[in-house]
Amino acid sequence: MSLSNVFYNTIFKRNSTFVPAVFAGAFAWSIGFEIAVTKFHDSWNKGKQWKDIRDKYATVEE
Amino acid sequence: MATLAAKKAFTIAPTVRTLASGVPHAPALNLAAKPLADGHGHGTSRADKPSAWASSTTLSSAGLVSRTAFTARPTGHFQQRLLSTSAAVKDAPQVPDFSHYRAPNTDKNRTFSYFMVGSLGVLSASMAKSSVSEFLVTMSASADVLALAKVEVELGSIPEGKNVIIKWRGKPVFVRHRTASEIEEANREDWKSLRDPEADSARVKNPEWLVMLGVCTHLGCVPIGEAGDYGGWFCPCHGSHYDISGRIRKGPAPTNLEIPTYDLNEAEGKLVVG
Repeated sequence: MSLSNVFYNTIFKRNSTFVPAVFAGAFAWSIGFEIAVTKFHDSWNKGKQWKDIRDKYATVEE
Repeated sequence: MATLAAKKAFTIAPTVRTLASGVPHAPALNLAAKPLADGHGHGTSRADKPSAWASSTTLSSAGLVSRTAFTARPTGHFQQRLLSTSAAVKDAPQVPDFSHYRAPNTDKNRTFSYFMVGSLGVLSASMAKSSVSEFLVTMSASADVLALAKVEVELGSIPEGKNVIIKWRGKPVFVRHRTASEIEEANREDWKSLRDPEADSARVKNPEWLVMLGVCTHLGCVPIGEAGDYGGWFCPCHGSHYDISGRIRKGPAPTNLEIPTYDLNEAEGKLVVG
């Protein structure tokens, strides 16, 4: 049996497996998307955010 | 393709037929009828009578015979005769051959289609979820509001056995530095039989420090400390008595004094309410 048939028979054939697979995929995808976007945001704004420049100021306070 | 025309003459049974003008035609009555010789006549032959070459009516011994010659179109099954060596006849010869374009195995296509449907479902579900959760986040308090809503108290300034009333979000908060005997008293009570049963350990983070909202649970008065029958608080409005753990013991109040969320920082001797 080819790989596509394996996918079809295990996931797509029954709605009882298809819908949970969609929800699980949505969960995983949203987490992955969040991580990716945050990583991109941090790299794009490198050196501008408080967590990057905190060391310059926090030591003075203590 | 040229239409095949077959000409055939045959005899149809004599019957009354209707002319194109709608007049019933009964030809046997007077076969040589002439129009009346009055002013309404238009000639020697009747205009409504078919020409002799098209239709003729004769009287014979068998009766009235009406002959009409006409061209019959070929009807019924008409088939081209093909030689056995000619090209194969297809069902619909004009339809091109698509077999070259058809997938030899449709399983892959089916899985791909369902995969695309599922991917759309994944994206939609993710978008719906984040729309809802982001909307709910807009309803919660922002960080600056939360920061303003905290109150810090120096615990070292409160001697043992003393009450301090502080203001937190417009409400009084009682902070009591309890003595060892008070702690013992609070734990000794048979709390399961109280009106609002709650153990003393469930109401404090550190038994030395009792932090409560100073609002009577009856109608919202501020109880007086170190008063009442149970050595705790007493509400002067309607006479509710609270014990040293802030639990309701006597009077109209339905529940114990409320505990706010707070943090005890023992190392720095600080209490943060909120």
